[in-house]
Amino acid sequence: MKSMVKKTLIGMGVSAALMGASLAQAEIKIALAGPVSGPVAQYGDMQFIGAEMAIEQINKNGGVNGEKLVGVKYDDACDPKQAVAVANKIVNDGISYVVGHLCSSSTQPASDIYEDEGIVMVTAASTNPDITLQGYELIFRTIGLDSLQGPVAGRFVAESIKPKRMAVIHDKQQYGEGIATAVKSTVEEAGVDVVMFEGITAGDKDFSALVAKLKRNNVDFVYYGGYHPELGLILRQSAELGLDVKFMGPEGVGNKDISAIAGEASEGLLVTLPPSFELDPKNKGLVSAFEKKGQDPSGPFVMPAYAAVQVMADSMNATGSNDPYEVAEHMHKASFSTPIGDVKFDEKGDLTSFNFVVYNWHADGTKSPAK
Amino acid sequence: MSESIFYFLQQIANGLTIGSTYALIAIGYTMVYGIIGMINFAHGEVYMIGTYVAFIALAGLSMLGIDNPFLLIAMALAVSILVASAYGFSIERVAYRPLRGSKRLIALISAIGMSIFLQNYIRLAQGSRDIAMPSMIQGGFLFGDPSGSHIMISYMQVIIMVTTVLCMIGLTLFITRSRMGRACRACAQDIGMTNLLGINSNNVIAVTFVIGAALAAVAGMLLGLYYGVVNPYIGFIAGLKAFTAAVLGGIGSIPGAMLGGLILGISESLTAGYLTAEYKDVVAFSLLVLILLFMPQGILGKPEVEKI
Amino acid sequence: MSRVTSAFVAALITLVLGGFLLGMSLTSEGINLVVEASSTGKITFLFVGVVLVFLLQLFREQVGRFTTKMRSDERMELPGFLRTPQQQRVWTMFVIIGLLIFPFLSSRGAVDIATLTLIYVMLGLGLNVVVGLAGLLDLGYVGFYAVGAYTYALLNMYFGVSFWVALPIAGGLAALFGFLLGFPVLRLRGDYLAIVTLGFGEIIRILLNNWTELTGGPNGIARIPKPTLFGLEFSRRPSEEGATTFHEFFGIGYSSEYKVMFLYLMALVLVLITVYVIRRLIRMPIGRAWEALREDDIACRSLGLNPTSIKLGAFTIGASFAGFAGSFFAARQGFISPESFTFIESAIILAIVVLGGMGSQLGVILAAIAMTVLPELAREFDEYRMLLFGLMMVLMMIWRPQGLLPMKRPHLELKRD
Repeated sequence: MKSMVKKTLIGMGVSAALMGASLAQAEIKIALAGPVSGPVAQYGDMQFIGAEMAIEQINKNGGVNGEKLVGVKYDDACDPKQAVAVANKIVNDGISYVVGHLCSSSTQPASDIYEDEGIVMVTAASTNPDITLQGYELIFRTIGLDSLQGPVAGRFVAESIKPKRMAVIHDKQQYGEGIATAVKSTVEEAGVDVVMFEGITAGDKDFSALVAKLKRNNVDFVYYGGYHPELGLILRQSAELGLDVKFMGPEGVGNKDISAIAGEASEGLLVTLPPSFELDPKNKGLVSAFEKKGQDPSGPFVMPAYAAVQVMADSMNATGSNDPYEVAEHMHKASFSTPIGDVKFDEKGDLTSFNFVVYNWHADGTKSPAK
Repeated sequence: MSESIFYFLQQIANGLTIGSTYALIAIGYTMVYGIIGMINFAHGEVYMIGTYVAFIALAGLSMLGIDNPFLLIAMALAVSILVASAYGFSIERVAYRPLRGSKRLIALISAIGMSIFLQNYIRLAQGSRDIAMPSMIQGGFLFGDPSGSHIMISYMQVIIMVTTVLCMIGLTLFITRSRMGRACRACAQDIGMTNLLGINSNNVIAVTFVIGAALAAVAGMLLGLYYGVVNPYIGFIAGLKAFTAAVLGGIGSIPGAMLGGLILGISESLTAGYLTAEYKDVVAFSLLVLILLFMPQGILGKPEVEKI
Repeated sequence: MSRVTSAFVAALITLVLGGFLLGMSLTSEGINLVVEASSTGKITFLFVGVVLVFLLQLFREQVGRFTTKMRSDERMELPGFLRTPQQQRVWTMFVIIGLLIFPFLSSRGAVDIATLTLIYVMLGLGLNVVVGLAGLLDLGYVGFYAVGAYTYALLNMYFGVSFWVALPIAGGLAALFGFLLGFPVLRLRGDYLAIVTLGFGEIIRILLNNWTELTGGPNGIARIPKPTLFGLEFSRRPSEEGATTFHEFFGIGYSSEYKVMFLYLMALVLVLITVYVIRRLIRMPIGRAWEALREDDIACRSLGLNPTSIKLGAFTIGASFAGFAGSFFAARQGFISPESFTFIESAIILAIVVLGGMGSQLGVILAAIAMTVLPELAREFDEYRMLLFGLMMVLMMIWRPQGLLPMKRPHLELKRD
């Protein structure tokens, strides 16, 4: 009996989503998909607290079209395989709106499913340009692209660091390799000599051979495309093996854990991050709401995740409909005022503008803008 | 000396470091196999547990106000050895002893089950996230010209190698000189005969598991301090590599495990240094496959005669 | 040692085992590592465990009597209405018809899970040939699964080969891999064989992970097309100009449910074929040779059977089923990456075979259903799934190494009384 009811409910959800009928539902579910477990779960937390705060605030202001938003967490562990399983689960659960996924390599395969099944997806963290290249109608992101971030990092290196022998290392994943390639081409255009371009295996622990290779090549600056667990170990082993050069990484390394792994060696690491939205005076109220809950609003994906929920909710309100296609159409056309500034999407679903800023990372897990 | 020799020596030093830890873990495989002829598939998980306990002890003791790093490390090592030994003992008691005398495959499946169980037990108890610990011992010895070509061996690498050598000397003395060591050797030769001579082989087997687990805990502690990261999944690969080392050196032979560990460590490090780091695991596993196919007795092992 | 003392010692050891790892948990505070007492749930669990061990040790004999009963060779009897072959045939027909109409009566989610279950049934049946029938412990089975999956994905990506053409190629290629790998390794003794196959499985995975130019490395291969029904696609829009989709052809509205149902029915057909083929194989001389070899290697050799070719046959046939399952998996999922083919996947398939009863087809099918459907029914259970898998493998080996529904050949027994 119970399963009958459940079945009917799921059936209703599916048909509502598929036929786009604005069936009266008591609540609108938003799937929050990202890593709850696994090596980069810290970034998942950032995305979840941002999205949950947005849901809370929107509900406090009366919800969407008179209905409450409900966030449902799904764990993809930042693993493409689990991301596909999660996407199918979201489809089966009859949810039409997704905030996520986090890692580009997870978002890419999941987005194919969402587009096919008529689900609106907004990622607050996946920066690889390929994700929106398919020309999908329902896929959006509230963060900049590696093709923006790479040049920012590359120009900074070429203008302020001026390395003579630079190395570019990446973890071969979509995100890491993508941004490493973008950085490499930018610095090479500016005349910097990239003497090493190598991949490592994510999850590896021993990088002593890599460090020795960097030393042998007399490298004086290293850019790493990837996430913090590997860069932390590389920094730590570099310090122990006497490789004294500056390192730089994308926002995937900008996390307190890198200092926990590398300790003193993380002092002076350069990181490109979205600007510190939490310092924007307009967001003062929001920041104090986070702090009241004991949450840290300074993570790079917190505010973009907040914005992701907000643009979906605003579009539902503006169109007065829960139909994913109508909502997506509105998202493509309108502009929104969010904690990450005024937001407008282009035809691919990317933001029309987004800034990345270079920060100096400190051994106590804090950051300060680099000159 | 030219720069490329320095580079080569640096890679050898790195390889010896990692190889020593393989050797420590490999002892557990080789001793157990030598006596009861089974692959203790769950041994890698004992190493992982050793690292977790060491981290818990280190963090706990330093919160209690102990700040001398050597005292801290020594106490944490003791705790880690104690708990890991308890695991080694219990694993044998629960999962293997009831299966003594049944087919090898039955025991191996039980061991695989134990390995999966322990991995997930730790995942549920401690979470699946990486746990990081800042490095406690920094700096190292530098040979050569600091601004030119040189090799650098960190204190931590030295500690790993020295501890391994000490453990090996202790183990060799135990096996060759002590009464229990003699019993171990006797069991390895003929367990039935040993029983007839009034030695309780169950105790000997339990001691074997405890020694293997204790050495795995030492390796866990050392690698934990060296890398500073632990998660519930590190045991599988480390166990497989250590098993490769044991097979390479000749399974059943204790000096063989040492030798196998060092060879494996060096070949990995040279692959990573001269070819590419991506394929160093392929080299390790290919070595395993090739040795088993063409030289199943390993370098120092005795060829096994199939008894009908 | 008295019973009470030994119970105390056992409880104490349990406390040492759990005290650190369950009783305390590591967390990072800022950038420092700190230890705090675990949640009350974990601590309760710890104490329940300690008390349980104490009691188990105290009443060891009574527990022992129970486990000996479990161990007994008695197989769970089939219910009365299933005894004769005629009855079995009728019921099999009923079950098949039930499975055929199931997707039309059920929700999309349930059909999706059923499809996944069928993939595991197929893998379990394939591995059952190798492990259950021939007695060769293959820990790298997932390698052949990967070969099948990547065969379809790569052929499609580079040459646009359709699923139906790729399916036999995938099975054939996996069989070829099985043959080539089996050739050198099959002369090894049981546990060495297990480790070598494990090594091969890992090598295949690492190669797929690192050969980025060909396989996409850790990012995997996305947008693998779904199978078509005689050229009719199940997508919203045709993938190329001029092609017709399923819903256009039949003039009905688009629904992604058709696709899910179609995949389910395909998986069902594949599984039925697998069951049939293996059923026939078991009755053929080679099938009997597999079992004979499993029971006594030396006796087989002395009877003039060639163990290498018999083992090779089992290995190759098992691998080909993994290849078929792999290419179907790639098509259903639409995405594959090396992470789908880790050792843990091999272990799950092995657990299915072990639980079901080595050699028994019905047992393996039921075990596969239990292993995939239970975690879906109770989401909270999902967390503990792998933990229980591991525990079950240990307990099964201790209590019922022959599995829940061990295979039974028709035989006569001399009644002694």
